[in-house]
Amino acid sequence: MIELINVAKSYPNGIDVLFNININIGKEEFVFLVGPSGAGKTTLMKLLYRDETPSAGKVIVDKVNVADLDVKQIPYLRRNIGVIFQDYKLLPRRTVFENVAFALRVTGAPRSTIRRKVMQALELVGMLGRANAFPDELSGGEKQRACIARAIVNNPPILLADEPTGNLDPTTSWDIIQLLDKINKRNTTVVVATHNKSIVDDMKRRVIALENGRVVRDQQLGGYSQ
Amino acid sequence: MFSNLEFFLVEAFRSFYRGALMSLVAVGTISVSLVIFGLFVLLVLNLGNVVGTVSSKMDIAAFVEKDISLEQAGQLQLALTKIPGVERVEYISKTEAWRKFKSEFGEKLELDDVVVNNPLPETFNIKVRTPDTLSSVAKQIANIEAIDEVRYSGKYVDQMRTLMDAIRIGGAALVILISFATLLIVVNTIRLTVIARETDIYIMKLVGATDTFVKWPFLIEGVMLGVLGGLIAFLVLKLSYDAISFRLVQALPFVPLIGDQRILTLVYIVMVLGGTALGMLGAHISVSKVLKTEV
Repeated sequence: MIELINVAKSYPNGIDVLFNININIGKEEFVFLVGPSGAGKTTLMKLLYRDETPSAGKVIVDKVNVADLDVKQIPYLRRNIGVIFQDYKLLPRRTVFENVAFALRVTGAPRSTIRRKVMQALELVGMLGRANAFPDELSGGEKQRACIARAIVNNPPILLADEPTGNLDPTTSWDIIQLLDKINKRNTTVVVATHNKSIVDDMKRRVIALENGRVVRDQQLGGYSQ
Repeated sequence: MFSNLEFFLVEAFRSFYRGALMSLVAVGTISVSLVIFGLFVLLVLNLGNVVGTVSSKMDIAAFVEKDISLEQAGQLQLALTKIPGVERVEYISKTEAWRKFKSEFGEKLELDDVVVNNPLPETFNIKVRTPDTLSSVAKQIANIEAIDEVRYSGKYVDQMRTLMDAIRIGGAALVILISFATLLIVVNTIRLTVIARETDIYIMKLVGATDTFVKWPFLIEGVMLGVLGGLIAFLVLKLSYDAISFRLVQALPFVPLIGDQRILTLVYIVMVLGGTALGMLGAHISVSKVLKTEV
């Protein structure tokens, strides 16, 4: 589903972030991407949804090398990749419903479809009761649930989560990871970049560790550290 | 596209009233620029009108010293009419000129007792179509054999012509310059509303919105700003022009101001359309800039 072949990334200011990355993630896998801050986790994620382009190598997502993707095709790539963030990136002046519906509206879906799918997504993340709340009125965990609902409302085959528990307390973090696990079991490939040692250790999933821009470990049923 | 239209309209209105202050600033800027633009256009049109009216009142006088028959006079008049650029030729016979002269000056004098032979020449008053052709027509008339003398206020006309050319060229250049300045101001004002929504744009793009999709609500908002600004400018300009021209006509009745409603309406329509175009173009330029920097 996701394949990185000899990928390197340097930013225009001359800083090298990733070196010779080779990763292959299969369909419906659940993968943790771990490593200290600055190891290149976020950059690697951004390469997948073409928020950044690699300086070298191939980034293949669903059989397409997104590194050579025509700019006009990027929106269609992104509709197949759900992304969730540490800072949620919810639109502040819109309700939870509107935030989630937004991801469908941009695809030009009819209103009835939007309503049905948004309700389904909100139900899945346990936010039906908060549909009319504004982001300001939500707790951190609720914000992240809303963000997840937005990411999956299109039923994308891939879900990327960049530090999804970074701003959450341990209990809420665990709830969010359970939710991601549930989504993974609905045939979605899930990649989670995280610092959260206890979660990685408890989940016992495939772990890819990055350090200084290099893959230093790729282990099935791994823990946060070796 | 049409299924999205409602969404775009709602988004545009929402953005308009959520950023009410910024929207008002943009509308105000567009209005002020358009009023300046409109005042200038009216000024140039009126100056042109004044110069044009004055010049069009100038005509050429051609004199024939010797007596000619009525038939000869008719032939000459025809020949003069045929010169390109001539609008109308008026023939004043020697006798008629003498009668006029007498009625104007001769009431107290028995001129007929003093003057035996009528000393006045046969006269043709020639009106040209445009003041520009005055001197060239005058030269052609002078070349006609039967004509002895041609008089027209040549130097004055040439000065008028130069002045009018200057007003036209300078006016056009200034109007273009003001248009550009207005566009720049509008682009920058709308850019502020776009920058205020940069996060929205980023998120829209992250969830897979195409550039066109992102652009539409902004373009609609730009058109709204432009139409509103244009209408306000129209009202301000119309009220002030009517007031100014009313007073000016009372104070200086001989100044030929443009009162033709068709011309004025055209200026006003151009202003409102111009405002609309400015708003849309401004929004387009601003959004495109932001879209280029966002991936």
